[in-house]
Amino acid sequence: MTGGEEPELSKELLAAHVAGCANCHRELEQLQALDQVLAGHTLREQHVDLWPAIENRITKRTVDWKPFALIGLLLVIIKLLEMLPAHDLGMTIKLVPLVIVALLFVLIKENPFRINTELVMER
Amino acid sequence: MDDAGAIKRCQQGDREAFRHLVERYQRRAVGHAVAILFDRDDAEDAVQEAFIDAFQAIGRFDTSRTFYQWFYVLLRNRCYKMTARRRPTENLDDVQLLASQPGMSDETRLALEKALHSLTPEEREIVSLKYFSGLSYDELATHLQIPRGTVMSRLFYARQRLQGKLARTLPKV
Repeated sequence: MTGGEEPELSKELLAAHVAGCANCHRELEQLQALDQVLAGHTLREQHVDLWPAIENRITKRTVDWKPFALIGLLLVIIKLLEMLPAHDLGMTIKLVPLVIVALLFVLIKENPFRINTELVMER
Repeated sequence: MDDAGAIKRCQQGDREAFRHLVERYQRRAVGHAVAILFDRDDAEDAVQEAFIDAFQAIGRFDTSRTFYQWFYVLLRNRCYKMTARRRPTENLDDVQLLASQPGMSDETRLALEKALHSLTPEEREIVSLKYFSGLSYDELATHLQIPRGTVMSRLFYARQRLQGKLARTLPKV
């Protein structure tokens, strides 16, 4: 009845008011009934075994992608160097950073910044 | 193995120690996720993702918290990401959020689940943590990372809405 704030009236004054006020008395009864219903329930025990799926996921994720990314990057650089004398340098130079970034994201297979590990509520 | 020991071993790359944490907390986590999402399948997905997040972030575990308090933040973030991109569940039969104590009828439980379903995920979350998991105001403030006063007012308005919904369903309340 106080919106979560500390009431301005003392408990005694509040009780005296509720006893004499039909509206507040009815509201108090409804709140007590709600409390009774809530107290009569608990969260149901959930039977689950998530470990096999989690183990599968963390095993896949622990494969170190860095050597593969490095090899891929080196191959692209070598290929681009081979192409240098035969093609227009301007376009090749523009494409190099795009290829490197695209390759890295393909190798990582997901956005590495996706997970919130800062432990700050998002909502 | 206690949680502190398991966490230390996880930080050294021991997957069996992480299994211990998963098996200890998965049931509680799914219960809390069902309370937010109101969908059993989505809840399991959110818990699974949150455990994977935890495994990756375990090196930065905050020792001022218990494992579950720390994990709950990850779980909550996963759940709310999920609520943002899916439709609310229409079929309540598969949810099975609550268990009745002796003296409470199935009819009352179903009415309460229906009333909870009509609340927002944030309202359902705070009501569930307070009344069904028995967290104190201080524990709620820690879990939800909000001031104690905000906990009290959020709970007050959630209760008020719940009472309004239940009053239409249950004439006694």
